[in-house]
Amino acid sequence: MADINFILDGKAVTAAPGETILSVATKNGIEIPTLCFNGKVSRTTACFVCVVKDKKTGRFLPSCSACPSEGQDVDASSEEVREMRRTALGLLLSEHTGDCEAPCTLACPAHASVEEYVRAGRQGDFKKALEIIKQRIPLPMSIGRVCPRFCEKDCRKNVTSKPVSINDFKRLAADLHYEDYMEELPPLKEQKVAIVGAGPAGLSAAYYLRRLGYASRIFERMPEAGGMLRYGIPEFRLPKATLRKELAHFAKMGIEIETGKELGKDFTIESLRKEYQAVIVTVGSWASSSMRIDGEELAQQGIKWLEGIASANWKNCANPGRTVVVGGGNTAMDCARTALRLGGDVTVVYRRTQKEMPAEQLEVLEAMEEGVKFEFLTAPLALRKNADGKLALACQKMELGTPDASGRRSPVPVPGSDFDIVCDTVIAAIGQRTVAPEEVNKDKRGNIAIGRDIRCAEGAVFAAGDCVTGPKTVVEAVAAGHNAADAAAAAMEGRSYEIPAIFNVSRGHWSSLEKSDLVFLREVSDADRVKPDYIPMEKRRTTFEELFPTIPAEKIEKEGERCIECSCTAKGECRLKKFSEQYCAAPDMFPGSKPLAAVDTRHPYIIHDRKKCIRCGICVKTCSEIINKNLLAAMKRGFNTQVGTAFDQGLQSYCTDCGACVEACPVGALDWKKKA
Amino acid sequence: MPDIKRIKVGTASCGLAAGAADVLDAFKRLSGDIPVVEVGCIGHCYAEPMVELELNDGSSIFYSSVKGDEKSVNAILGLTGEGRFQVPAERAALEKLNVTRLSGRIDPKDIEEYKANGGFSSLRKAFELKPEGVIDAMKRSGLRGRGGAGFPTGNKWSFLAAKKADEKILIMNADEGDPGAFMDRSMMECVPFQVMEGMLIGAYATGATRIFIYCRAEYPLAIKHLNIAIAELKKQGYDRLPGREKPLDIQIKEGAGAFVCGEETAMIASLEGKRGQPRFRPPFPTDSGWNTYPTAINNVETFANVPVVIADPDAFAALGSERSKGTKIFALAGDLKYPGLTEVPMGITLADIVYKIGGAEPGSVKAVQTGGPSGGCIPADKFDVKVDYDSLKELGAIMGSGGLIVIGNNRCMVETARYFLDFTHRESCGKCTFCRVGTTRMFETLENITAGKGKPEDIDFLEDIGNKIRKGSLCALGQTAPNPALSTIRYFRNEYEAHVKDGYCPTFQCAALSDVRLDPDKCIKCRLCIKTCPVQAIGDDFKVDNAKCTRCNTCMEVCPKKAISRVKKGDGFSSNLSK
Repeated sequence: MADINFILDGKAVTAAPGETILSVATKNGIEIPTLCFNGKVSRTTACFVCVVKDKKTGRFLPSCSACPSEGQDVDASSEEVREMRRTALGLLLSEHTGDCEAPCTLACPAHASVEEYVRAGRQGDFKKALEIIKQRIPLPMSIGRVCPRFCEKDCRKNVTSKPVSINDFKRLAADLHYEDYMEELPPLKEQKVAIVGAGPAGLSAAYYLRRLGYASRIFERMPEAGGMLRYGIPEFRLPKATLRKELAHFAKMGIEIETGKELGKDFTIESLRKEYQAVIVTVGSWASSSMRIDGEELAQQGIKWLEGIASANWKNCANPGRTVVVGGGNTAMDCARTALRLGGDVTVVYRRTQKEMPAEQLEVLEAMEEGVKFEFLTAPLALRKNADGKLALACQKMELGTPDASGRRSPVPVPGSDFDIVCDTVIAAIGQRTVAPEEVNKDKRGNIAIGRDIRCAEGAVFAAGDCVTGPKTVVEAVAAGHNAADAAAAAMEGRSYEIPAIFNVSRGHWSSLEKSDLVFLREVSDADRVKPDYIPMEKRRTTFEELFPTIPAEKIEKEGERCIECSCTAKGECRLKKFSEQYCAAPDMFPGSKPLAAVDTRHPYIIHDRKKCIRCGICVKTCSEIINKNLLAAMKRGFNTQVGTAFDQGLQSYCTDCGACVEACPVGALDWKKKA
Repeated sequence: MPDIKRIKVGTASCGLAAGAADVLDAFKRLSGDIPVVEVGCIGHCYAEPMVELELNDGSSIFYSSVKGDEKSVNAILGLTGEGRFQVPAERAALEKLNVTRLSGRIDPKDIEEYKANGGFSSLRKAFELKPEGVIDAMKRSGLRGRGGAGFPTGNKWSFLAAKKADEKILIMNADEGDPGAFMDRSMMECVPFQVMEGMLIGAYATGATRIFIYCRAEYPLAIKHLNIAIAELKKQGYDRLPGREKPLDIQIKEGAGAFVCGEETAMIASLEGKRGQPRFRPPFPTDSGWNTYPTAINNVETFANVPVVIADPDAFAALGSERSKGTKIFALAGDLKYPGLTEVPMGITLADIVYKIGGAEPGSVKAVQTGGPSGGCIPADKFDVKVDYDSLKELGAIMGSGGLIVIGNNRCMVETARYFLDFTHRESCGKCTFCRVGTTRMFETLENITAGKGKPEDIDFLEDIGNKIRKGSLCALGQTAPNPALSTIRYFRNEYEAHVKDGYCPTFQCAALSDVRLDPDKCIKCRLCIKTCPVQAIGDDFKVDNAKCTRCNTCMEVCPKKAISRVKKGDGFSSNLSK
């Protein structure tokens, strides 16, 4: 038989008799996605992700099965064809249940591979854990101590008990291996980046630039680097000796930090632009918000006050005496606990209840344990100085009214409930704002405004951290700094950059799940969450010693046994995810029910997760056509069609563990239980 | 009882369902020496149980809705009974009983009676014509496959005839699965020998060596009659075709009830012992079918047509419309007076079928669904359409296998589409993405709309995904499954919009969008509704409490004054709202 000549995407091509359109396309460099065709088993023609269009008849054909006819004009790449593929992928995603990525990793603002570093820790390999952590978190010693643990709030372990103590893996890995771990660094390129501010965002940007091969120089207005880590967060939460150890690593990497250099005084963004190929602004959010009451000038500004104590290294500071801290955020807690340690008798005044406090609840509880008093539902009205030199903070009791736009119930004054608190010191810690440089874009709240490309001004000028978002956490600043580094690198390489969108399918937030919804790949420990050994309370009240020492390895390894390992076994290999990303298909394109399907974990090594199955039939055919075993077959009809075993006896009954089906599965429906 | 020669009781499934077994029993007891035989159905299923008295003078008297009690039977035997039945003249003038000529008139199990009525004369003629002559006659007649797709039968046979192979397979598709369609069942039950004669002619013409009859197991009577017929044919040597060394291998395969097995490649897979799911064509079955042997598949009704065609192909071609020849059997169901079967020439108007044959009241009908769940609806204002393969397609419907479901004015078209999608999304074989998931999403959307949870964008979504399912499905099931939704949106978009925009079901059929109201002006306070309400939703004040009411309609049915009716949601009383 003669070859067949036809047109593919406007190009004349030739097919051998019996050759499919997919095969011809592949030979001609046209990529057509397919899920149900793998070339090793007979065709099923099921997924229809490989459709092409016959331009003359207007019909869509599955290219994995359709052979071209003489003179046929086939469209394999138009928007219409792509839309059909996107729809097929969206439909598959709409019935697909699983977790591409573990909820902890997604919850982490820096998207550190939590499951992976916890696993390395469980296996006792903390150096590997540190290596994984530093892919996303350049300050693990510090973040391992001060992070509010977004990951743990979304941890699936919450379904049955307390979350895995994830952050302590980070702290231990960093403590154990900081000295002996060194990243493999590529040779330096010619271009150099200027970074304004040596806080978490600036340090992170410098770190990831260096890992990409770019040198940078950080300009820091304060005498020491670290930003909020150095001058905001008190010693008892992050000892500065530890911080210096962490910062020493940056010097080892060749990152230059020039302290005592202030933007606007010693240089301008414009001057940096002339000398450097990119500029990243990470100046933080260091101005205190006003209480907007009379006599405000008599109060200390929270962040400024902490900065002063930090500059004195928590030594020889005056006892603030009877102290009132106004505010309910993390800075308020730091102020209160610092004042307490300086000998003060501290009361926190907050206008809502404990539940609404923006501070981390753990820190609130720790403050309470240490003896900080709280006046909830109390708002300051005015501050005055009495004749005896004491301060009097006039306050008013509040009650919670209707919820506002953010869902928080707004406090409303209780008439006639005014009272005075007489004290020596008032510290206002009700919020911070950004003092943005002149030369960049700003938003309504005065923060630096950036686009999806991270730029904040014309040219290669980027911004990251608190100065963009307002006061946030260290881990968020680090994530933003990483993005800014990527954006700057892209700009220097002439590429466009956007914050990458994350494609993910999820089984759902733990609060919507029951234990029966969880999938266990191995026996997972039911032990209680590991507890840190706090230093004695007396020391907590009177010294700036760190709250608790790093939890030792043997305890952390055991803690790792509690991890469920939620992410997909096929992570990194899933073709459904790959094509969905390519075609911008999303799991929420076609909302609706999910098929009834069970997860079979009876086989000792293989998990059969039918909730992930895309019904491509490859496993069935692999077992029957290649292995000659016929252990798998399609069962049921319609939406609930699924792959099963005879009389639901499970694979383990007759399977020889050859794994051919596992290797052939385009998603994670049939997979090895053991993760790498 | 002087004049009665023979008594025929219709015991096809429709007759049995109406109580024909008792009638048969009574006649056997009371008829004395007059022979009582079982026959099939003459198409007037609504009139079952039916009894025909063959008189000595050669004429016949039909009785309809016969009761099996002694008094009624004796009255009929005395020729004085009530319920004498005559086909209305208007209907008789429109029908053309060619294929169903013997249906309900002869004993389906009796080969001799079939022979006495001209049976096997076409087979003999076929042997004279030789295979080429048969195929030529088939082509000349213009017969197109009656299973739905309308492929010319003569062409299909010529493809198989041209193949050289050790074995060639001919399959009869008797997996009739459309809700409301029963033409094939009736043919198999009533004239099994005629169907088998068609198959024998087909096997002779195509050189087929093996015959499969793929019949759904839910047709026990059809299977019984076919088995009897096959045994009889073998006994009398009909399975030995001229010039063949070996007899034909004839087997019945009972399908397990999967709708998709009516699709030819799925049927072949099922016959091979595999899961019934379609595969990509080409190769077509005539190139590679059952166990890779060349295979042709025809529908029951097609085979039933074959003896008629061979008897006189030109007379056959003279009937019907330009591109659709002969007659077509339709199964009438739904909101009409005379549900049952009718055989009419192709090209007859839908109005004639629905109103004149089906007896539906003009003005009471909103639409007709043709082609079963894969078909589409045709609104009443288009009933002047000539019924053939091509013109129905133009209207967005299909001829299909011949099911016609009449939809009355009181039916909600969204609910109608939901009903059909409920069927098709369950019957998807589950292989292809668009069909398995897409039809489920369509069904869920329709269910939301009828449950009062629809959104305005749902209509566009249904159209968009429906068109993609049509384009992105492998077999006819998926390619046609969106049709009920697409065609109802096309012709009854206003009903959809009322649901999703105004929260209003114009027919009040959707329970979530309607209330039940008792009209005090019509009420005679007989309390029947209060007594029969299963949930005590009607109080002593004769108000229907819609907070309790389950919309079961029982009160509406028992009310002697029709004082209770469905009304727009909110127009009825509800104890929740009146607080």
